[in-house]
Amino acid sequence: MNTVLQRQFYVLITICFISTLIFSCVGRKNNIAEYEASKGEGIVTIADRFSLEKTDSCTILTINDPWQGAAGIKNIYYLVNRNSDITLRVDPSEVIYIPVQKIICMSTTHLAMVAAIDERHAIAGVSGTGYIFDEKITAMIEEGLISDIGYESGLNNELIIRISPDLIIMYGIGSESVGYVGKLREMGTQALFNADYLEEEPLGKAEWIKLFGALFCKEKMADSIFTSVVTSYDKIKEYIKQTAGEMPDVLLGLPFRDAWYISPGNSYISRLIQDAGGSYLWHDTKSSVSMPYGLEDVFLRALEADYWLNTGTARSKKEIASIDQRLKNLPCFINGNMYNNNKRISPGGGNDYWESGALYPDLILKDIATILHPELFKNKELFYYQKIE
Amino acid sequence: MKNDNKTIAVKMLEPGGNITPVFILLAVILIIAFILDILLGSVSIKPAEIFRVFTGNADTNIETIILRFRLPKAITSLVVGIALSLSGLQMQTIFRNPMAGPYVLGVSSGASLGVALVILGFSSSFVPGNLQNLGNWVLVISAWAGAGAVMILIMFISSRIKEIMTILIIGIMLASGISAIVSIMQYFSSETMLKTYVIWTMGSLGNLSGGQLKVLTITVAAGTILSIASVKMLNALLLGENYAGSIGLNIRLSRLLIFACTSILAGSVTAFCGPIGFIGIAVPHIARNLFGSSDHKILVPGTIMAGGIIMLISDIISQLPGNENILPVNSVTSLIGIPVVIWVILRRRKETGIF
Repeated sequence: MNTVLQRQFYVLITICFISTLIFSCVGRKNNIAEYEASKGEGIVTIADRFSLEKTDSCTILTINDPWQGAAGIKNIYYLVNRNSDITLRVDPSEVIYIPVQKIICMSTTHLAMVAAIDERHAIAGVSGTGYIFDEKITAMIEEGLISDIGYESGLNNELIIRISPDLIIMYGIGSESVGYVGKLREMGTQALFNADYLEEEPLGKAEWIKLFGALFCKEKMADSIFTSVVTSYDKIKEYIKQTAGEMPDVLLGLPFRDAWYISPGNSYISRLIQDAGGSYLWHDTKSSVSMPYGLEDVFLRALEADYWLNTGTARSKKEIASIDQRLKNLPCFINGNMYNNNKRISPGGGNDYWESGALYPDLILKDIATILHPELFKNKELFYYQKIE
Repeated sequence: MKNDNKTIAVKMLEPGGNITPVFILLAVILIIAFILDILLGSVSIKPAEIFRVFTGNADTNIETIILRFRLPKAITSLVVGIALSLSGLQMQTIFRNPMAGPYVLGVSSGASLGVALVILGFSSSFVPGNLQNLGNWVLVISAWAGAGAVMILIMFISSRIKEIMTILIIGIMLASGISAIVSIMQYFSSETMLKTYVIWTMGSLGNLSGGQLKVLTITVAAGTILSIASVKMLNALLLGENYAGSIGLNIRLSRLLIFACTSILAGSVTAFCGPIGFIGIAVPHIARNLFGSSDHKILVPGTIMAGGIIMLISDIISQLPGNENILPVNSVTSLIGIPVVIWVILRRRKETGIF
């Protein structure tokens, strides 16, 4: 009898011990009320590639399959308030102290999200200073407050050490990107992969603002930006669903030499076209990358297209004709139903569509809907798009 | 030993057996390959409908596909196949080296440097990603300029150097040096630029405009006529420069002529279609084996036909008939060319002296 009780007691002790180890993050329940109140903040609802879990002592950030082609890979980070005296029993290389004060952003979409929560001053480095649209950030680069740290394997490691940021926000092209992160960690710099570009849902991509909300301890602000984007997106989508009749056929992109790289039907842009009341010519294809299609095949289907969107950086019909003379025979070309997303371009060549567009899919949706259904959006000015003349 | 080789070479000049049936067979295959290249493509079209295009009462879409996509592409394939094979044959003869090809003089490296400068170098100061919008002619002219610059350099060197092998080595060194420069440029470029450049290096046959096809056809025709005119020179050079000199051939002049011819042929093809590998090395060997001869009177027309056939077949394969996806043509030519080259190496043990 006694021994049974004893054994049970030991088992209990062991379980307690293990759970403290595992859930050390959730272990402290002293601020339960405060924790319960903020639990709902910053919770990810739409995005597939990341999640945030609030505990009373930290926020657990999980990034799922952070690069193209990754399967079953999870990167976990513990976001710990830098003013708290909590010591977590986790691998120190997985801890990020928040609010972050100095960051390097590898993609312009990250910059737009940092700018949206008004934390531009924390940006210390970018990759490729020429491609940025945001005027304030461009001005900071000119003043020398932001450095260019180069690309991928060409990263300027010495410059990164000199900047010594709290965090580098990267994007992974493939598993080889892990190598750069390993190197950065070796140098004592924390880095995380931002996989926003892999989100298929437009709103899922926008939801990555919550990551920045969590990193800068501005969850409420990030949440309210995201909520307003969702509300506005759903309103347009619902309006289209109720009122739009025909779904015009849409062609995307440009050929390069023999091939026309076709965005698959499960891509971000395909979803936007569908929600804007259009029918993307390749909406029934499924792939994780753009596929090279033969020119004649694309040409034949393009003859049915009513609208032609996202034509690289072309601004004029002449530029499109110079790529391939045969494109002049497409009905869209003849009718002038061609629109490109390069209305907002900085003098340096940064396109805002690729910068703030990730955060404001509602604006892109409204643009595409206005193009495809001009009768429903009378006198609406386009934001990212412009007609190709 | 040297004498021995010469005897075999002289023997090889005599046609082995009757060659007329081989020519007829090649001509038939060439015509069939050309027709198949028009019949097959990513879009499935019934032969009857294609026939109607030429009688003038077909569906306009099919007419566009056939007349504006497939026919120009088939003609381009034919012209490219001829040009690369001929220049490969000339280089193998002049350097008396079975592994020589149209690009040993660095012509394609020169062209790729020209293209790299446009795609990777200058664009960073323009709008990023505007590479897709570079007109067709921009790339063609830059490639031509690059190939032309290398050609002039090689001509200059060859007019001062007597030993032909030195020229070969200098050509290869030049090509490697240029590739190194291009690599540096690639290293510092963004993903979009890199992808654009890499796609260019994979070769393409299908995006020449009507005007460009005319220019390519005219230059290749000029090069082909020059090659036919230089048949006697090539036959003499096959026996070695000393022998050719002893029968009264002006070695330096004929070298210049043949280099110019090769550069025009290979340079224009690279400018319009990108570097297309292996055809130039493999096809002359196929022709030599088919005809069992080293006589350029037979080899030049034989190489022209075999080159056209192989390139047309490569194009058919690269289009993956019935499938909307395509393969880069350069990979297809290499995959066809590699077995041929291996076969040549293995056979060479038996037939030394072919060069």
